[in-house]
Amino acid sequence: MSERIVITSTGIISALGIGEEQHWHALANKKTGLKYPVHLTTRHASEFLLGEVDLSNDELAAMLDLPTGDNGYTRTTLLALVAMQELVNKTGLQLLQDEPLALVNANTVGGMCSVEDMYPDFISDKQDGSFIKYIDTLDCAESTLNIAQYFKIKPFTATISTACSSSANSIMLGSRLIQQGIVKRAVCGGCDALSRFTLNGFNSLKNVDKEASRPFDQTRFGLNLGEGAGYLLLENESDAVARGATIMAVLSGYSNTNDAYHPTAPSPDGDGALMTMQLALQKAKLSADDIDYVNAHGTATINNDASEGKALQRLFANRKPVFSSTKPFTGHTLAAAGSIEAIFSILAMQNQVSLPNLNYRTKMDELEIEPVTEAEQMNINHVLSNSFGFGGNNVSLVFSKP
Amino acid sequence: MKPVYISSIVVTSPQQHFEDDGFLQNVFGDDSGCLYVKEPNYRKYINPVAIRRMSKLLKMGISTGMNALERAGVQQPDAIITGTGRGSMVDMEAFLLSMIEMEEEALTPTSFIQSTYNSVNGWLALQTKSNGYNQTYVNRGASFELALFDAQMLLNETEEAQTALVGCFDEITPDYVRVKGKIGYWKEPAPANLELLQKADTPGTIAGEGAAFLTVTNNKENTLCSLLCIKMLQDATTDEVVHHANEILTENNISLADIDVLLCGMNGDVNQQEVYTTMIGKAVANTSIAAFKHLCGEYDTSSGFATWIAAKLFELQEIPEILTVKRGRHERIKNILIVNHYILNSTSLILLQAE
Repeated sequence: MSERIVITSTGIISALGIGEEQHWHALANKKTGLKYPVHLTTRHASEFLLGEVDLSNDELAAMLDLPTGDNGYTRTTLLALVAMQELVNKTGLQLLQDEPLALVNANTVGGMCSVEDMYPDFISDKQDGSFIKYIDTLDCAESTLNIAQYFKIKPFTATISTACSSSANSIMLGSRLIQQGIVKRAVCGGCDALSRFTLNGFNSLKNVDKEASRPFDQTRFGLNLGEGAGYLLLENESDAVARGATIMAVLSGYSNTNDAYHPTAPSPDGDGALMTMQLALQKAKLSADDIDYVNAHGTATINNDASEGKALQRLFANRKPVFSSTKPFTGHTLAAAGSIEAIFSILAMQNQVSLPNLNYRTKMDELEIEPVTEAEQMNINHVLSNSFGFGGNNVSLVFSKP
Repeated sequence: MKPVYISSIVVTSPQQHFEDDGFLQNVFGDDSGCLYVKEPNYRKYINPVAIRRMSKLLKMGISTGMNALERAGVQQPDAIITGTGRGSMVDMEAFLLSMIEMEEEALTPTSFIQSTYNSVNGWLALQTKSNGYNQTYVNRGASFELALFDAQMLLNETEEAQTALVGCFDEITPDYVRVKGKIGYWKEPAPANLELLQKADTPGTIAGEGAAFLTVTNNKENTLCSLLCIKMLQDATTDEVVHHANEILTENNISLADIDVLLCGMNGDVNQQEVYTTMIGKAVANTSIAAFKHLCGEYDTSSGFATWIAAKLFELQEIPEILTVKRGRHERIKNILIVNHYILNSTSLILLQAE
């Protein structure tokens, strides 16, 4: 029987701020981070509400004592470094340097946020200019390797890219690496910066809402994109206890499955989502009745919420679950969503408060269940956190009170 | 971790693809500096409606993966795990350039969807109706290795006999070659690929592409070889690489003299030669030294092509002249160590053993 894997620290940045405290304040007081973008250059800036981090690249660089201007660091990496700095400030760097560590990062478009501005220079006849510093930044591992180099750590390094479930997969992989004895601790999470590429990509799919998104609402139209980064420190319970660390939560279950239904759409009755949640519960040796709160994927797209809603209804056949999507707070942060929402799930459990589903008014015709719309005091012992992605890549995580 | 077993392995490469018989019989060479794959007939594995909108990388990934499954006699793998350094460059460039040209208006989503790194995985799951574990690694020169490593972990986590489909794919585009040329990736002028290894006194290499897929199982019966160990190292010094190589040999009770073939990823770049020179220097007279990048070019997941070569060497028990750097005194080919270094300072070691 393998040992319990626990979460002992986090680092987070999103449109809601930096660190657990700022995030909890916004969540508990129903303060959304959505606004018209200031830092993303796009002709759609005054059209789409986005979950943009309220800091410029220069401001982020200054927080990290990096040079400002074209320093070769993409916004994706800067967000990742600031979130990691949060975690490192709490745990100390020594802990990450001393013993075998895994750094499992996740990302969907690498440094596209910088590359899309410089691409005409990339492919021109120009042989020099500040764009040269960004030529190796397009791939997803760019942020991962920059984290290792910036903090002078030499971890087992992995970068995952499974669209919107990427960083939930990071958490699952980190846990498996510890259980196999490959590493002692794992820093797991993901990062993504807003880019015109993704905004226009999702817009071409006609599933971006210009207004604030309305997950699980009859009038929902689509998602709001966001940006951010979130990292969690995972270790064996005995190691955490031995070093006197505060245990925030236990990662009691996880599962990764594929819908095998359609390249971009989920199975309409939620078969895939249901299977993922069931397998995560099975791994946690829990039943649906044990789950007190579900942090849903809840992108507010027509397809996701219908499919996920039906899956939830089928999973909780005996009762109506307490569930919500927190995406109207942060926007959909893509590869960072799984880890950011894992942190939200843990905060909900620590505070024993449900997280509100903003902008919900009208029940969906096809559902009997409705999301929780207030931050309500309640008993939360086990939380289920869902992340479902393009390509049918589904992940569910179960967190439990220590 | 316990070893796992490779039950089938196929490639689509600049030399040959999964429909071709034989092993490196008609070697391809040119001096364009870019080794593009020889394309198979994709229609066998992809339905005619879907195929029309698919870009090359998708077609190459799906077909190669389906062929590996067919050869293993597996209809539904228990897991599908892939690695790619760059995903579909063609789709990424198409969407990015049309976004710039059209000034963010009236865009179509096909290339955006296909540019996502997990799209090959999604299609393979869809075509085989596989609901199991599904994962995509995008970690430069360690992408294929991470996929293979994850498969080994997964198969160690279960008591059941299971099979994972593991694969990798990367492609060249003219823009990719132009862009990376600005930071010294390539030799100028480009040498003939078949002379690449003789030009190792200057910086730079040649570009390559390809796909490799294999089925990996925890059931030893009817398999091609064992996968004993995979090690990925980032920013490691040559001493550290040597240390880790010794460590994995010791862990598997293999001495340096037991290595029959040291299969090296030399890419002709003088600045990346050190790790190979050192490893070859440690090899004993028993060991044959072989190389592969003059046949596939340099790309993030070329170690997939190397793994295919290793499996072929086990099968044929003979090292073709075109791969040979130095012939060793070994009789059989039982143990092969693949050493690969990628441009952005990642090194990997893959230890394989014949049954």
